[in-house]
Amino acid sequence: MADGHQHPIEHRFNPYAENGGTVLAIAGADFAVIAGDTRQTEGYSIQTRYAPKVFKLTDRAVLAVNGFQADCSEFVKRVMQRIEWYRHAHSKQMPLKAIARMIQTMLYGKRFFPYYTYNILGGIEEDGTGAVYSFDPVGSYEREACRAAGAASSLIQPFLDNQIYFKNQTPAPGAAPFVPGNLPIDVVLPIVIDSFTSATERHIEVGDGLEMFVVVAKGRDVSQLASLNAEEIPATNPGEERVFIVRRELKKD
Amino acid sequence: MFLTRSEYDRGVNTFSPEGRLFQVEYAIEAIKLGSTTVGIRTPTGVVLGVEKRVQSPLLESSSIEKIMEIDTHLGCAMSGLTADARTMIDHARVTSQNHAFTFDEKIKVESVTQAVCDLALRFGESMENEDAMMSRPFGVALLIAGIDELGPQLYHTDPSGTFVKYEAKAIGSGSEAAQAELQDKYHKSMEIKDAQILTLRVLKQVMEEKLDQHNVQLAQVTVERGFEILSDAQLKEAIDAM
Repeated sequence: MADGHQHPIEHRFNPYAENGGTVLAIAGADFAVIAGDTRQTEGYSIQTRYAPKVFKLTDRAVLAVNGFQADCSEFVKRVMQRIEWYRHAHSKQMPLKAIARMIQTMLYGKRFFPYYTYNILGGIEEDGTGAVYSFDPVGSYEREACRAAGAASSLIQPFLDNQIYFKNQTPAPGAAPFVPGNLPIDVVLPIVIDSFTSATERHIEVGDGLEMFVVVAKGRDVSQLASLNAEEIPATNPGEERVFIVRRELKKD
Repeated sequence: MFLTRSEYDRGVNTFSPEGRLFQVEYAIEAIKLGSTTVGIRTPTGVVLGVEKRVQSPLLESSSIEKIMEIDTHLGCAMSGLTADARTMIDHARVTSQNHAFTFDEKIKVESVTQAVCDLALRFGESMENEDAMMSRPFGVALLIAGIDELGPQLYHTDPSGTFVKYEAKAIGSGSEAAQAELQDKYHKSMEIKDAQILTLRVLKQVMEEKLDQHNVQLAQVTVERGFEILSDAQLKEAIDAM
């Protein structure tokens, strides 16, 4: 530099990092799919090819968390602890909408030094319907039919808007109007897989592996999941909601 | 009992050699001096009834408040040192509102009862130089009525911090006779109107004065309407139906 460093240079500790990856969730009438890739990056480096971002909280709730990995794992640990305390205090599993509200209060509680996390909660409501709740890092939340977050959210969300919310689609003349959130599971899972394979092609921070959690309502037929090599995660209350996990490889380049 | 008073009467948290906490036992005695309070659970709701002792014809009976709302789905009736109940009901209200704020759902009747009972044992010497917040046990018993996902429920709490679920319960000065009457007349499949009438009948039996709409108060928690204190007109209607 011409002036030979005469001006002050600021050196500042940055408490946050951005660890790439992408998550998404889609709600069905009586199920929810919550998915995330397993690559963890910092800059152009891959730190690990297997860092899970999607976690089973209860028999009917799954949380996908993306952003700064250290904040993500800390936040998930605290959510799980609060869910266990609630179970001891009130002798029941925390309902999905209660988890959603609790996550809001936990995120907003750190309004002035936020967790750098984008959360998507999926599962089954008390009335048996599939639900997705999405959050911003300080706790603003909303129930939706689908949501993508993370590095490739700008690639995936428009695709979901079209495929799940039927945006820019017109029903055939005389056909019933589109209703978001009612697609069958054998349509939803290929949409999830296509979303991640496409994001892997076009985003360097997405790839390596895909984990899709499927939460199904009590008594729902799960025969469609068998052909997908779905593995059931043992339930704490058998006979109620069930959680399955479907794994797929993604490109590693 | 008063003849055997000893050193163990003094410390509120000191066990006697027989394993008793005298101050807590005396607090339970204080409830037996309070006015009679009755609660009855039905499949569709819970009824609470209290006797209001009107000591003077100049007293405004409407200013005697022995039934209070905790939340829209929770109510509470008291017997004993009713001033102490204010602290407990304030705690119950805060607990209920906090739960609704944090979890976006109504708190369970058992959970709010547990919260009140946690408070009941926080008397006595302070630990590690904190200021002692309460010097003695509460001298009041509560009947907590409410509805949650498990249906209508009625809980009884006493100064020892114990809580028990009841189908029908009487506390206060006339509780022994009232409880016997409840045991006789209560049945599980009562209508809410029948429960109102049984509450009034039980109170009438144990009251010294003639029962009218000025010396009793009724409240109910129902599935449709939540907690409500019966209006003068509704109370009169129930008394006439009795």
